[in-house]
Amino acid sequence: MESHSGPGIGATGMETGEAATALAAIDASRSWLADRAIAPCWYHPAFGLFAGAVIAEAETRSVMLSAWSVAVYTIACGGLMWWNQQRVGVAVQYFDRRTRAVYAAHVLALTGLIAAACWLGLGREVPGAFLAAGILAVPLTVAFGRWTDRLLRVRLRAG
Amino acid sequence: MSTAARFDEIVHAPNRLQVCAILSAVDSADFATMREALRVADSVLSKHIRVLHEAGYVDLHKATWAGRVRTSVSLTPAGRTAYAGHVAALQAIVSNEGLQPGAGLQAGQP
Repeated sequence: MESHSGPGIGATGMETGEAATALAAIDASRSWLADRAIAPCWYHPAFGLFAGAVIAEAETRSVMLSAWSVAVYTIACGGLMWWNQQRVGVAVQYFDRRTRAVYAAHVLALTGLIAAACWLGLGREVPGAFLAAGILAVPLTVAFGRWTDRLLRVRLRAG
Repeated sequence: MSTAARFDEIVHAPNRLQVCAILSAVDSADFATMREALRVADSVLSKHIRVLHEAGYVDLHKATWAGRVRTSVSLTPAGRTAYAGHVAALQAIVSNEGLQPGAGLQAGQP
């Protein structure tokens, strides 16, 4: 193909405007992808309810029930994540340095909540400690989940 | 490390550029998702995917689940390099820097 040079024309013979249009199309595709990755509004609250239910259930002091609820929690979370991936239709590396840090903070926060509930509920026999921890776990999980999602969307949009 | 600007005519076709733009951000994407993104018919997308596949830029994966075949597409390392080089070339044109000597149009236009 013949190459041209001159104002607004690159070495490939492509006009600057055409190149800018192509770059804009790339941005539009990335934005489409980032928008598609937005989870439904109930997605993170569902994770929050799962986590909250598992923690609050410890109020019953039944080891067997706790073991079952952890198993159900694991399956439910896995199923929800699988469903969301099918919905979005892409496989993406969910964790990078930032999302891994947010996830670690989330796990630490939940661990702290559970530890506090254990200290209060089991150590000091405070009634309702696990129930309160379960209730607190819901907004905590929603906040961290949406934070992670936001970081993922920024990454998808940036490319 | 920056990618060398290299205009790639295989990647440059608008639909193929969109395919590469999406695939470059993910590990793989379903064929149906790509079709929805491009708003084109199956046959049109198949044609573009085939061109990219023949150039060694994408891999196709087929998985059967619940009796349905699901096709997903991913960029190969060569595809990622070509796409990154093409984007760098577009950015160079826009910023009026031009391309590196010898980095003109790549042969192999289908």
